[in-house]
Amino acid sequence: MLSHLIILAQAAAPAAEASAQHAEAATGVTKIIQDFGISWPFFLAQVLNFCLVGFVLWKFAFKPVMATLDERQRKIAEGLKYAEDMKAKLEAVQQESVASSKRAQAEASKVIEEARKAAKEFLDKQSQEASVKAGEILAKAQQVIELEKKKMLAEARTEIAHLVVETTQRVLAKELSEADRNRYNESAARELTNV
Amino acid sequence: MASPAKIAQQFARQLFSVSVIDGVVSAERVVGVLEFVEKHKVANPVMVLKAYHRLIAIELAKSIALVEHAGAINQTTLSAIEAAMSRKYGRAVKATAQANASLLAGMRVHVGDDIYESSVAGQLAALAASV
Repeated sequence: MLSHLIILAQAAAPAAEASAQHAEAATGVTKIIQDFGISWPFFLAQVLNFCLVGFVLWKFAFKPVMATLDERQRKIAEGLKYAEDMKAKLEAVQQESVASSKRAQAEASKVIEEARKAAKEFLDKQSQEASVKAGEILAKAQQVIELEKKKMLAEARTEIAHLVVETTQRVLAKELSEADRNRYNESAARELTNV
Repeated sequence: MASPAKIAQQFARQLFSVSVIDGVVSAERVVGVLEFVEKHKVANPVMVLKAYHRLIAIELAKSIALVEHAGAINQTTLSAIEAAMSRKYGRAVKATAQANASLLAGMRVHVGDDIYESSVAGQLAALAASV
């Protein structure tokens, strides 16, 4: 490859001379070239060397480094993207967690409210039943007391009546005279004969 | 088929019906009935005679007015009671007096299962029962 470049440089030398001659015609440009000491063969050789070095550097140094940089940049971008995704997922998970917590809290509140309501209804029902039973027991007790009272009064009345009758019988047995008995017997006879 | 007791009861009623003349138990008829039972072979004679005796006793009791009294009663009163009971039952009823001091005063007349009373003890008992 280097030989090809040399051949090209040698072939280019007459062309460079022709151009130099032509440049002499142009005094401004020629003067500048002379002032800077530019030699076209060397210049072209340096250009070629520069291109060659640039190519080699581009091929074997710059390209792998760029590839490495691209790879690293890609990895960084992926990492950032992954981090962002993770952040988004984390936020989603947090939001989901918050929503789930709120739902659970609402559900728990609902369950507690229902339990409280059921307990209140049960308590009210028990209270009503207890009240009804107490009323029934009270009514029965009052009935029993009333019956006992009536029974006691009847027994007392009977006992008093018996005592009165016995006392009256004793008194009459002692106090009734024969004349009283006769008068009563006559009255009884009139009553019995009219049956 | 009727039981022996029921047959004896029916036969005793038949004997009793022939023993009563005009609502009054006839002693001659009763003697004749007893002779008949004695002479003839009657089924279950003991049961028949017991039933007959009970019917005769009830009928005789209807003809007797037992007058319980406290204090003295005279024959006029007894006669008046006899007349009243005979009139009520439509047969001759004979009054028999029996003293009973527990009546305190008044009389109690038994005719069969019927009781007529007008006494102080009875009125007191009625008073005690009504209280």
